[in-house]
Amino acid sequence: MSDPVAQLVFLIIKAVAMPLIIITMVAFAIYFERKFAGFFQARVGPTYLGPWGSLQSFGDVFKLLSKEDVIPLRSDKPVFKLAPYIAFIPAFLVMAVLPFGPVGGEPNLFGHRFDYVIADFDAGVVLFLAMGAIAVYGVVLAGWSSNSNYSLLGGLRAGAQMISYELAMGFSVAGVMVMAGSMSLVEIVDGQKGAFWDWYWIPQIVGGIVFFIASIAELNRTPFDLAEAEQELVAGHLTEYSGMRWGMFYLAEYVNMIVVSGIVSTLYFGGWRAPFESWNVIPGPIWLLLKICALIFIYMWIRWTIFRYRYSQLMSIGWKVLLPLALANLAVTAVVVSVVG
Amino acid sequence: MGLVDVIKKGAFVDILRGMSVTGTYFAVDKVTVEYPREKLQTYPRFRGVQALLADPETGEIKCVACMLCATVCPSRCISITGEETSEGHSRPATFDLDLSRCVFCGLCEEVCPEAAIVMTRHYELATFDKDDFYLDKEKLLANQVHAHKELYRQAAGGAALPGAAAGPNGAGGRVHAEGSER
Repeated sequence: MSDPVAQLVFLIIKAVAMPLIIITMVAFAIYFERKFAGFFQARVGPTYLGPWGSLQSFGDVFKLLSKEDVIPLRSDKPVFKLAPYIAFIPAFLVMAVLPFGPVGGEPNLFGHRFDYVIADFDAGVVLFLAMGAIAVYGVVLAGWSSNSNYSLLGGLRAGAQMISYELAMGFSVAGVMVMAGSMSLVEIVDGQKGAFWDWYWIPQIVGGIVFFIASIAELNRTPFDLAEAEQELVAGHLTEYSGMRWGMFYLAEYVNMIVVSGIVSTLYFGGWRAPFESWNVIPGPIWLLLKICALIFIYMWIRWTIFRYRYSQLMSIGWKVLLPLALANLAVTAVVVSVVG
Repeated sequence: MGLVDVIKKGAFVDILRGMSVTGTYFAVDKVTVEYPREKLQTYPRFRGVQALLADPETGEIKCVACMLCATVCPSRCISITGEETSEGHSRPATFDLDLSRCVFCGLCEEVCPEAAIVMTRHYELATFDKDDFYLDKEKLLANQVHAHKELYRQAAGGAALPGAAAGPNGAGGRVHAEGSER
């Protein structure tokens, strides 16, 4: 088998396997979300389906598939049907640029080189930011097309939320880009060679915290789940959705959480690298998976601890705190990088 | 906003404190009682379904058909017809209790001069048949096994009978239901 053919075969295998793995992870992320929601409130969470209730998500999916799919009579039907996909697909696309193991180097599989990334895209970080921005359209369009006040307010809030966190998010990543000298996620991981004190979370701690807070807003999770806000807006943009169309949004939310956790660990926590160089005998994908799980746990912990911020509070956090911090972080990083190396 | 506030917010002091609270709950024993598999023991004065007690020696019903319970009952769910036995005692010929109207207030037990009608610790009364809510004298007498331990012992002349073993001692604790499936 010639090398281009082998690469094509590898690519197809990766492109098929990755979404399947992510979907499976989503099933368990939803299960653990419910389980941990219980644990954080001294309850037990789901216990009935499967051992410790671990098959709960599959039961949920079958329930959703068997439900009637209601489309409101006066909704904007094409947009109403399109919105879940707009929310769903960008989340998956980011997965293509996320390295989950070493890229390049010697042939390592059947005499061919197996790259642990679907696409080594030069502007991977930009793709991530762009897809995050597109995913918001899913929420906004869902709110707009539902022809419901709750949905509309949810969509409106999602739009307003996006402009207040996205800028800070972009600027905080810029610090990492400056340090790595590249926008490619593969090269950003290459720049974090060594043990855990060589990763970017120490020099980029301010940018990292800004990025993490902004990522909670990006994920639409408590304390920044203004678009959904069930106590005020019923279910925000999801109010009129039912059955599997609603399930798509739900799925997108968790795919997003896994992908964003992957991006955070890639940007600040060394991606697939082991915390100590001698621990590299354990392959990269497992380290990345562990880091993703740890970050998801922190997201859940925050969700079940902190109340929702008010609409205006998110804006003032975004514009008055996160953005200046991200800018200062970028300026300091740029000066230090140009002076030192 | 003073400098202290800025430092507190910058270090996420309050958020971390909150997260330590939820983190503690994450680790402690869970408060959930998984009901069909686990049950709480009833408290000593728990007011479950009524029972009519019988005299343990003679096996005769203690009720003398004085009608006090039927009179005091706020929801009028007790109806009694009395009769005179051959020895000249007053006894209930019928004693009917409509559980679908009973509010489990316990006034019947309180007012009974003979301690003949008592509230028990049995509370799992759900049924598919409405007729099960009409308790006649036989069903009420059969409910004796559910009576609270000290009452049952009283009725049984000091010796707790089998079936009354899981008494109110350690009330409020969890018991694992025996033989019940998930």
